[in-house]
Amino acid sequence: MKKFLLILLAIFTVGLLAACTTGEDAGEEEPAEETDQKDDTTEEEANEEAVTEGEKVLLLNNGIEPTSFDPSIGFDQVSWDPLNNLMEGLTRLDQDSKAGPGVAESWDISDDGLTYTFHLREDANWSNGDPVVAEDFVFAWKHMLNPETASPAAFLAYFIEGAESYNNEEGSSDDVAVTAVDEKTLEVVLTAPTGFFLDVLTNPAFFPVNHQVAQDNSEWHAEADSFVANGPFLLESWDHNVELVIAKNPEYWDAAAVKLDKVHFAMVNDTNTQYQMFESGELDTATIPPEMSDQLIDGENVFIGPYGGLEFYRFNLTEEPFQNKKIRQAFAYATNRDEIAQYVVKNGVEPAYGFISPGFTTPSGEDFRDVNGDLVPYDPELAKQLLAEGMEEEGYDELPEITLTYSTSDSNKAVAEAMQDMFIQNLDVEVTLENQEWGVFAEAQQNLELQFSRSSFINDYNDPVNFLESFITDSYMNRTGFSSAAYDELIANGRAETDPEARYNYLFEAEKLLAEEMIAMPIRYYNTVVLEAEGVSGILRHPVGYFDLKYADKQ
Amino acid sequence: MLQYILKRFLISMVTLWIIVTITFILMVSIPGSPFNDERASNETVQANLEAHYNLDDPYHVQYLLYLKSVATLDFGPSIKQPNQTVNDLLGRGFPISFELGIVTIIVAVISGIVLGIISALRHNGIVDYLAMGLAVLGISIPNFILATLLIQELAVNAKIFPVATWSSPMHMVLPVLALATGPMAIIARLTRSTMIEVLTQDYIKMARAKGLSPWKITIKHALRNALMPIVTIMGTLLAGILTGTFVIEQIFAIPGMGKYFVESINQRDYPVIMGTTVFYSAFLIFMLFLVDIVYGILDPRIKLHKKGGE
Repeated sequence: MKKFLLILLAIFTVGLLAACTTGEDAGEEEPAEETDQKDDTTEEEANEEAVTEGEKVLLLNNGIEPTSFDPSIGFDQVSWDPLNNLMEGLTRLDQDSKAGPGVAESWDISDDGLTYTFHLREDANWSNGDPVVAEDFVFAWKHMLNPETASPAAFLAYFIEGAESYNNEEGSSDDVAVTAVDEKTLEVVLTAPTGFFLDVLTNPAFFPVNHQVAQDNSEWHAEADSFVANGPFLLESWDHNVELVIAKNPEYWDAAAVKLDKVHFAMVNDTNTQYQMFESGELDTATIPPEMSDQLIDGENVFIGPYGGLEFYRFNLTEEPFQNKKIRQAFAYATNRDEIAQYVVKNGVEPAYGFISPGFTTPSGEDFRDVNGDLVPYDPELAKQLLAEGMEEEGYDELPEITLTYSTSDSNKAVAEAMQDMFIQNLDVEVTLENQEWGVFAEAQQNLELQFSRSSFINDYNDPVNFLESFITDSYMNRTGFSSAAYDELIANGRAETDPEARYNYLFEAEKLLAEEMIAMPIRYYNTVVLEAEGVSGILRHPVGYFDLKYADKQ
Repeated sequence: MLQYILKRFLISMVTLWIIVTITFILMVSIPGSPFNDERASNETVQANLEAHYNLDDPYHVQYLLYLKSVATLDFGPSIKQPNQTVNDLLGRGFPISFELGIVTIIVAVISGIVLGIISALRHNGIVDYLAMGLAVLGISIPNFILATLLIQELAVNAKIFPVATWSSPMHMVLPVLALATGPMAIIARLTRSTMIEVLTQDYIKMARAKGLSPWKITIKHALRNALMPIVTIMGTLLAGILTGTFVIEQIFAIPGMGKYFVESINQRDYPVIMGTTVFYSAFLIFMLFLVDIVYGILDPRIKLHKKGGE
């Protein structure tokens, strides 16, 4: 018996020792990580002391680890929100969310609208002291377009002559019309005049890359040590999956405008947790957990702003009964989007009666949405009438079965159920609801296997054409089976017309045609809702683009 | 003994191969692609991405690539975090999950056994009812609810502990509490029922009759036999807790590896799916092996190999 106890004790001790040594081993495998963490804690302590001495440290949450800080690869908000503050493109969105000078101090546009000549700032430098030169842009953009890079953002650069054919391996990198005329002059030739090209350039995909650093080390963007920044902040430390710290970049040409000393990005992916951290002062901004929306949305510390994007439902024109325009219209007009926005989605979102969200300014300074008005009204009477007419046109005595599909999520489900209810009430039609896991859903929608399905769109650049061009014939984003020569022509003109007024007129027409054909029904516009701690100010949250901390301040 | 270990090792390798094969078949048969997100895209971009990650190769080529990656233990870069290899992700995440898991297990085992013994000794008394009431609560309250409750009360309201993240021992307290309650309750109930059974056995009556102290009887004679079922569940429990738990890690923003099990599947991040599956399977197989060894020590009647039976 004593022997047994001894053995048990021995096992326990060995187990404990093993546990401890594994822990230590784990530490040894990544000494850098460990020291990083230690540094962080000491820094944090130092920060806390320094805060009282006036060092300004903003505590933000990035949700998850950024995909990549290679501007060509990190095609998502979690990468580009921080990156937008580490880097700067030729143009940068200003306080009015318009494309203003960035690394380029000024530019000339040829009379045919095809050739852009950018003059780079003499004092634009990288955080390692190198000057930002035209070659950095040439290098970065060709890197993005290289098919080997497999950049998910590459299609944004197809406005440039030769870009598409290089990306799909028909052409070579030499044919891409981006040239460094001299150190500080960059020339870009477009395939067609593009009125919003300067806006496109604010997108992080078009950020420069320090070509000397990148040629020596192609993984320069993977760690804080090797990262070179040219924006208002530089990358101070990056503890993967844990925390990211950016600090004021003294080499930035406009460093005098930057008020914050440091910004910490935590990676907390739980809505409730990040809100609780905000409550206890561990974060300076937070989003509102859906279940607390009613309680918090009217608070004084809430920022609500437009966000260029639309939630909508696609009709599949290749499946009955949605080949019929009137039936499509009937379903759209029967959906009370006011109610969905106010009682289902909540969080201060706007119901959508058109496709283009508010926040796009026309050449005459008005809002696109105001000018083009409500195109898809809520009108149950008209809906009923249209349904009857449509059924007669198709010779239906009874409507074929309809399945409404959404990707699995609580909020999608709530909206779908509200719609189902409205169709019963207003059209006396009972649709079947079906949810699918995202990957399955996305593939089925792409292959036109779904009859009536949920979608969303987030703008990549600040122009209405970004959304509208999704529906041109055979576009990868079409996903409805819609094809109209008239629509294709409107979009072609809406991209290439050099006179801004005339160009917008094409876009107004295109949106009207989309509403008339009703190949997709709008539900609601996206918005940005953020809780901000007292004393936090100056964070620019653009309707299209990524947030900017250049002018942010914390008291 | 060596022969036994060798045999077990070979069986493990075959098991792993079967797991890899089934995982591969499942992976290619679920629809969807890692590049389907809600962002705009086009055909060229999609084709370039597929080529970049060898997803345009025929299935048998992909299968051989995966087998190779398992054999060399190099799973290549993650698709969703392309600057990091799967080995990086697991190498960073596992030690953290392991640290959290070990502390949780120690807390759960010690408190569970103590609670179980007390209940068994005070069988049907008020202490028993209290302890078992606690255990039922522990089993029935899901740990994510407990976690949220703990954060709200002890972190936000009372401000004793930090809400989340992983940087100091203080940050460990709440997740350990949330995570340990369930296993503790299971162990307590198991200990109680086997202890009650063992305590009615003849040899315990004999020990009592001999006038041994109750303490000695409980610890030396009863507990040893009562531990067997606990050892049985220990292998699976350890493997589950030590490799991280998705929900608790998400709630407390702990950078462990639990999330990769769930997220890699949602995102169709194939190399990470393969990496986590192989890692978890190997770990589980190893734990079950350890359990078998411990059986032999706890109960001499169980023989690991024929020779030992003499």
